[in-house]
Amino acid sequence: MIDETLLYRAIDEAARLGASYAEARYHSLREFNFSLLNGRVIGGAYSDSTGISVRVYAGGGQGFASTSTISWESLLDAVKRAISAARTSATSRRSPARLAPARLGRARYSVVEKKPLDSVGEDAKITTVREALDGVEMKRGDMEVESHTVAYRESVEEKVIVNTDGAFVASRVPRVEVFYNLTGKHGALRANRWRELGGSGGLEVLDGMRLTDTIQDDVDSLHVNLVKARNMEGSQRLDVVLSPEIVGLSVHESAGHPSEADRVLGREAAQAGLSYRTEMGEGERIGSEHVTIIDDPTIPGSMGFYLYDDEGVAARPRVLIDKGILRELLHNRETAASFGVESNAASRALDYRSEPIVRMANTYMAPGDYSLDELLEDIKDGVYIKKYMEWNIDDKRWIARYVGLEAYRIRGGRIEEPLKNVVLEINTRDYYSKIDAVGKDLSFEAGSCGKGEPMQPLPVWMGGPHVRLRSVEVKGI
Amino acid sequence: MIEDLESLVKGRVDEYLILVSDSRELMIKLANGEVSTTQSWRDYEVSIYLAKSGRIAAASYTTHDPRDAIRKTVSMIERLEESPLYAELPEPSGREKSRVDPRLKEAALQGDAAWVLEELELDAYPTAAGMISIAYTTRRLVGSNGADLSQEATSFNGYMRIFKGKSSGQWAWTSTVYDKVKATRAIGQAASLAEECSKLPHEDVEPGTHRVLLGPMIAANLLQLAASAANAGSIILGFSFLQNRGLDSRVGSEAVTILEKPLDDTMPLFTGFDDEGVETRDKVIFDKGVFKTVLHNTKTAKIMGDVTTGNAGWVLPRTFNLEVAPGGLREDEMLEALGDGIYATNNWYTRFQNYLEGTFSTVTRDALFIVRRGRPVACSSRARLASSMPSLLGSIEDLSRSQYDIQWWEVEEPVRTPYVLVSSMKVSRGASVGAR
Repeated sequence: MIDETLLYRAIDEAARLGASYAEARYHSLREFNFSLLNGRVIGGAYSDSTGISVRVYAGGGQGFASTSTISWESLLDAVKRAISAARTSATSRRSPARLAPARLGRARYSVVEKKPLDSVGEDAKITTVREALDGVEMKRGDMEVESHTVAYRESVEEKVIVNTDGAFVASRVPRVEVFYNLTGKHGALRANRWRELGGSGGLEVLDGMRLTDTIQDDVDSLHVNLVKARNMEGSQRLDVVLSPEIVGLSVHESAGHPSEADRVLGREAAQAGLSYRTEMGEGERIGSEHVTIIDDPTIPGSMGFYLYDDEGVAARPRVLIDKGILRELLHNRETAASFGVESNAASRALDYRSEPIVRMANTYMAPGDYSLDELLEDIKDGVYIKKYMEWNIDDKRWIARYVGLEAYRIRGGRIEEPLKNVVLEINTRDYYSKIDAVGKDLSFEAGSCGKGEPMQPLPVWMGGPHVRLRSVEVKGI
Repeated sequence: MIEDLESLVKGRVDEYLILVSDSRELMIKLANGEVSTTQSWRDYEVSIYLAKSGRIAAASYTTHDPRDAIRKTVSMIERLEESPLYAELPEPSGREKSRVDPRLKEAALQGDAAWVLEELELDAYPTAAGMISIAYTTRRLVGSNGADLSQEATSFNGYMRIFKGKSSGQWAWTSTVYDKVKATRAIGQAASLAEECSKLPHEDVEPGTHRVLLGPMIAANLLQLAASAANAGSIILGFSFLQNRGLDSRVGSEAVTILEKPLDDTMPLFTGFDDEGVETRDKVIFDKGVFKTVLHNTKTAKIMGDVTTGNAGWVLPRTFNLEVAPGGLREDEMLEALGDGIYATNNWYTRFQNYLEGTFSTVTRDALFIVRRGRPVACSSRARLASSMPSLLGSIEDLSRSQYDIQWWEVEEPVRTPYVLVSSMKVSRGASVGAR
């Protein structure tokens, strides 16, 4: 860790140089990773990203500077650069940047590794992953996985954040992630399945991935897509059931991102884009009464877990959509000041050289009380999309597209023949409005959320239950 | 310092490379015509490659003291296994090639970027959102293969999105020197797209198949993805539509020539040596639609029975600057050549449905013009373009003579590209909230 007095000296010096607010963040990300190609180890290594950032508000502008050299001389240089940067920012401000008051923490916390990362050696971790792969049947009938890559990454993120408003937060969050890509082949046809799994904690996270079963299920999906599925002709208006995997992605893309207040204010307009919530205010209906969407950093074991954000504000669940009605935005202290509200602790930074900006943590649709069978039972003719392989959405987060890797026709309440590459293109209001029933089977997927300049891919969870949409257009490719 | 790091690995592994990068960068971000933040970085990054008995390790360290992590990696390499990607390090043939703009270097070292705001006269654009970056970097590569190569470089790049009512335009630039003309022209292009779109009536593009003119921003994004499929790493890992297409096979129309140009020191990823110390060279990836080069380091070259092309990456190859060769049309002839169709000026969120087939879709943003008989007649809400890389490359009819140097959020490596005229792309759209 860091000599915390260095950080206090930095913010004191920034204040002396004219900063109305200063924060210093020690931020360390230490990782161990290895990769396998077709079960053979390509390579592995330990990496380390450790440094200090200084962010100040001075003269009405905001400035940010960082250094990977941890010494007072280097930190003092960073303070001076941050002050200079803030004064550059101030030159074009029509009104000074302000920060809203917030419930700031003075705390230390750490995520417990039930099974410590260092309790076994690197070779044992490699063996665990390879044995999991060895258990997977990579050939299913005429379809085989012609190549597969698996990457394992464990990391420990340590931060100490102090600011001139009195925050002190020291945290330690370990995470374990596995990424894999399967390339399936059937005759001349090929398809990929890419997946990310992960959570915060120790090696119990790896155990919880049930890698053999999880990968096998994806091999089976490739088999369905490449061998069994048939194209859907034309476009049809049908009832659709979506799996938790797709619901999780969709709430991240079309509820979470547009609820980022900096995006609503246009601060990310040239990068991550805009938001329909610039034109739709809190209290406006966007979906049916069955739709409640929450972003919650405090979920134990989650990828996006934290108890205090990177401005030292105490975290809590944020209800973005409540029974179909737009509710709160995700805020840091600057956007909160613009909206006249309190920050709800959504300020996050990737590493020491990243400015903290408004980010999601773990975004999910609240579960209802239907089983999957109950969702299906009164559908006369519909489609069940279980896994996706392509998605995108416009920069206002309004027109989304999800293409099924594994999908089925529903007839008479039963899942029937597989459909190939089913496309759901739908706008956000239709999507949330057409949901008439929500499952009780909440689950989460791990992901890296992209935003910021330079890009800051952050660990998040995306979750939801099965949902049923009535009468939406689906089509084949 | 680098000698200290060498002492940690020398004699403990069979082969090593150490790359030290010392950089100073300033970035000004704008939104709503104001500077939202100014960022100043001072980074010292150490990257290492180690090999022992065919086992390999590669990692990066941005920390004041990487020694502990390096020691752990040296110790850990014993517990790895012989890598299927291992190949002996090559003889270092690289050349030192530097290009430094003293004004950019001074600004980066001093942390002073305010003058850029004044010079680019951004006050004239009260709705501008975007980024301006200035960087100065020194790199030094040493290795057990005898490599000891250095480079010093500056860069100046950025992009602006400018709004006019509900219309917007966006453009980018990239350079190794301070180029006021290039930057102000890019900002002006963004403003004129917004202006032009705002003056036209609104009309949504009809779903279906259309002739499409791709502006340089979207052309850079899509053709960079096409070129990345020639990276041997993409081929080996199953992320390339070129996986089952041999060299000299036709993958595009006669109009398509894409080059990889690491020696072009007008674009920021120029270098005379790759990460293995091998001499870089400019090369043709697609020559008049024919697939000519797989990009290799020594490792992928060994696997695929080829030779390195000077594109290392330590584990997998990398791509440096790209250039899409110009075509035969003047810019004022492009819309006429398009005839009836759409002119897409920018995009984002390109996602592959199937990397191996190259099928993808992408979403337009900013001005999207409906063109009839060679004239823009309306501006449309955002739409989705869908195609496959073979289909896209095969349906390129012509390109403009003029080229633009593009690098931004959706185009990570610099791409010099003209406008690109495509005979056929699928277009779909959903209902929007009315904003263009």
